[in-house]
Amino acid sequence: MPNVILDPTGQAGRTPAGGTLALAPRRAGLQGARVGLLINTKRNAELFLTELGRLLTGEHGAASVMARTKLAFALPVPEDMLKELVSECDVVITGIGDCGSCSASAVTDGVMLESRGVPAAVICSDAFGASADAIAGLRGAPGYRYVTTRHPVAVLTPDEVRDRARQVLPDVVSLLVAAGEAAT
Amino acid sequence: MAEAGRLDPDAAQRAIEHCYEQGWSDGLPLVPATQPLVDQFLARTGRDPGEVIGTLEQVGRDCTVYLAAVNAAMAGCRPEYFPVVLAAFAALMAERAARGGWQSTSGPAPLIVVNGPIRTELGFNSTGGVFGPGFRANATVARAIGLIVRNAFGVRPHVLEQATQGIPGRWSICIAENEEESPWEPFSVDGGVPAGTSAVSATLLRTSEFVDNRHSHHVEDVLWDLADTISRTGAQIFRDASAGVVLCPEHAQMLADAGYSKAAVQDWLMARCGRSPADLRRAGKGDLSKISPEDEAQQTASGRAEISRTMESPRQVPVIVAGARNAAISMVVRIFGEWSGTATPVEVPAGAGASAAAGTG
Repeated sequence: MPNVILDPTGQAGRTPAGGTLALAPRRAGLQGARVGLLINTKRNAELFLTELGRLLTGEHGAASVMARTKLAFALPVPEDMLKELVSECDVVITGIGDCGSCSASAVTDGVMLESRGVPAAVICSDAFGASADAIAGLRGAPGYRYVTTRHPVAVLTPDEVRDRARQVLPDVVSLLVAAGEAAT
Repeated sequence: MAEAGRLDPDAAQRAIEHCYEQGWSDGLPLVPATQPLVDQFLARTGRDPGEVIGTLEQVGRDCTVYLAAVNAAMAGCRPEYFPVVLAAFAALMAERAARGGWQSTSGPAPLIVVNGPIRTELGFNSTGGVFGPGFRANATVARAIGLIVRNAFGVRPHVLEQATQGIPGRWSICIAENEEESPWEPFSVDGGVPAGTSAVSATLLRTSEFVDNRHSHHVEDVLWDLADTISRTGAQIFRDASAGVVLCPEHAQMLADAGYSKAAVQDWLMARCGRSPADLRRAGKGDLSKISPEDEAQQTASGRAEISRTMESPRQVPVIVAGARNAAISMVVRIFGEWSGTATPVEVPAGAGASAAAGTG
């Protein structure tokens, strides 16, 4: 009987974590919502998210915006910052995933927020869909939806960034509220 | 030769194809790992096979001693290389840059530097062609790290690995320092491990670039040549840009003969590597200048054009000696992020094998 060839991944016989993460319950609309921004320090991320916060308060009735910056864009949000976002915000926007590690960690942040009951809209550049989708699967949320914006983002001027934020606004709103309510 | 006649190449080929089909390979054939082979690796360390030696937090995956052994076996390592693989992996995982680096668009390559008696015990090349192929220890230790990242962490190209172009040499740059022909203390001593103790230091590289300066009689000419390569704008994406030099023995000895200590080489390069604000602006990187517009105007008015220095600490310009003493060609190694420079001792438990055990000095 020959020896068995060993598996070098450590994943043999292991099923992916969960497989079906339940998303956080959605609000009917954003009226009065406290919006959290989780900025990952990638170039133009701060302006992009800040502009989205402004649009959500100005046009969708959100009550307030709280911005937090995670300094290690490659890593998931630190636990204390996550706790603060969960306790102080009704919805969170995070990004921008526009590199290999930060696209994966932005989606991870989104999934962690969802698992603690806070709807999240993750913004990724469309060049990193493969990475974002893969990490969602690994995090037990295959098919997790996020918002994409055309690559590249880092080279945009401030006005172009604000335009981009405007362009993705309907997608952001639609991810954060219950189906059928996005248009309101 | 008698044994060669009894080997079964057809079975070996089928086993290799099986490994390809599972998606475990980096593109080259793998050695199919079996429990008896992996047990030989595990016998070379005193650590528990289940001990977690690395976590990639953002993907939720761990590497254990056991998985490292399986991947090292598949990479073609001999069991006695395993303590070096463990030290190299520990050294890399201690670097902040490696936390996101495996997935990075930069596609950086580990640079693994081996010091101490284990170099000669295990046959690590430290001389001619040190960055090139031809030596099992160098080639397979570097490859083992790549397989760990691919298989244990699950970071694969086009999925979680998002290298834009990648770089030549990824998973193949493992050099031993040429301590015998270096005029200075071993690199591992800079990293905090006493001379004579086998140790591994490691970082991630954006690339390596040769500096061929074989006809200069003045050491400052050589230093200026190195500084020019270090200072190119294409390599600069932040205000600081760390670049080490792997000096060939001839350059290192020339510098030492002229009275340069390693620290003096570092100081010289720190003072002269960088570009003027005008050069940076020309490349669209004016915001990387550390010189304020006011200071620049003042310098211009007084006929000076100072550079915005890219390296502020000796840690940012590590100096290593490797290669043959047959031509004056050195290498600039472009560091991804920062390198702590910390050396990790190679742990070989007592009784784990005569040849490797002697390497602990």
